[in-house]
Amino acid sequence: MLSYDYIKCADLNLAFQELEEGEQVYPLAGGTDLIVGMRGGKFAAKTLIDIKDVPELNVLKEDDQGITIGAAITLNEVTGFTPVRENVPILAEGCHSVGSYSIRNRATIAGNICNASPAADTAAPLYALDAVINIAGSGGNRSIPIKEFFIGPGKTALNKGELVQSVLIRKPYPKGKGIYLKASRTGSVDLATVGVAVQRWGDQVKIAIGAVAATPVRAFSVEKAVNEAGEKRWADAARLVHEDISPITDLRGSREYRYHMVEVLVRRGLEQTMGV
Amino acid sequence: MTEKMPVNFTVNGDKEEREAVVGQTLLKFIRDELHLTGAKEGCEIGECGACIVLLDGKPVNSCLILAVELDGKDLVTIEGLSKNGELDRVQKAFIKHAAFQCGYCTPGMILSARALLERKPNPTDEDINQALSGNLCRCGAYQEIREAIKASSEK
Repeated sequence: MLSYDYIKCADLNLAFQELEEGEQVYPLAGGTDLIVGMRGGKFAAKTLIDIKDVPELNVLKEDDQGITIGAAITLNEVTGFTPVRENVPILAEGCHSVGSYSIRNRATIAGNICNASPAADTAAPLYALDAVINIAGSGGNRSIPIKEFFIGPGKTALNKGELVQSVLIRKPYPKGKGIYLKASRTGSVDLATVGVAVQRWGDQVKIAIGAVAATPVRAFSVEKAVNEAGEKRWADAARLVHEDISPITDLRGSREYRYHMVEVLVRRGLEQTMGV
Repeated sequence: MTEKMPVNFTVNGDKEEREAVVGQTLLKFIRDELHLTGAKEGCEIGECGACIVLLDGKPVNSCLILAVELDGKDLVTIEGLSKNGELDRVQKAFIKHAAFQCGYCTPGMILSARALLERKPNPTDEDINQALSGNLCRCGAYQEIREAIKASSEK
């Protein structure tokens, strides 16, 4: 059995203090990545701060700013939140793609991005929605775009003493359909071999892809062809995605397979969101 | 290092005051301390669902939860479904439809199904597939499991 301290925390300032002063202190929300990672030696935690009962992290609301999803909100709660389903269903699809129903009763969107897997299922939709990450810490609060939050595999922009307070989906919401297409080895309980988020914004499109680089990436070459050059042949536009990605070979698929699948899924995504 | 912490909770309707070792999983605590051995250890990484229990009514993987997180919660294990010696209707339906062979996945399957029927009293095949997406049956009794759940949903 692993040995570490456990602190149940209901006060955000106490959490900051522990994170700031302690060594190898990890916030615990759902624990679905953290516990597995600790057991496997990925995280050498000396202290776990259970943040699930911190009131500021249990916010799930829609207001003038948009939709705010607190760090302790589970993926099933996000998927079931009506403003998410109605305005940004692509995010509900991404959340729904994580693990299984029982995992999603514990796992959180903040945990999914803090784990910073390039294959994180919520990440590509968040990139395509230009989500904002609200970070809180002893030194104050700051907000950064999701694309600045991911630094590399397992690495985020969080500094010592900071944690993700919430994820914000800003208004105005996208006008048009969004879709998250995932290729994986099994229908559930597997990470994405590749994950493609295609979100229509009026007559424009934003495309983000997971599991094809060190962080999730936007398919700017495809977006430029569609949004600026007016490319309507989706197959031709999708082929340009090769310029935006640098996949590797791993147990979920070869580099070549990923190149192929991303192109296929980007084409399908464009067809299903921008019209055939 | 903190070694043990008090945990107050309800298990299958009964209030309990115990101590839990920090670092022990909820699964180990349920099996080794509460001596309820219905929940099983399978993969220990949250993929198989053999360890599923209901925490505040929701199916969760007890291998990925710490025993100390049980404090203040309502826990239901497979042992808590029968009332006065009579099996729950989902349990009866699993027997009637032979929805298992080895039975290792069955406690998790039935608890996931029970929670689904609370949410959706008349689930579709797709609802069942989604709700049980984290429950693996290595004997391949999925067809019978789906039939048992549909049968127990009929009012």
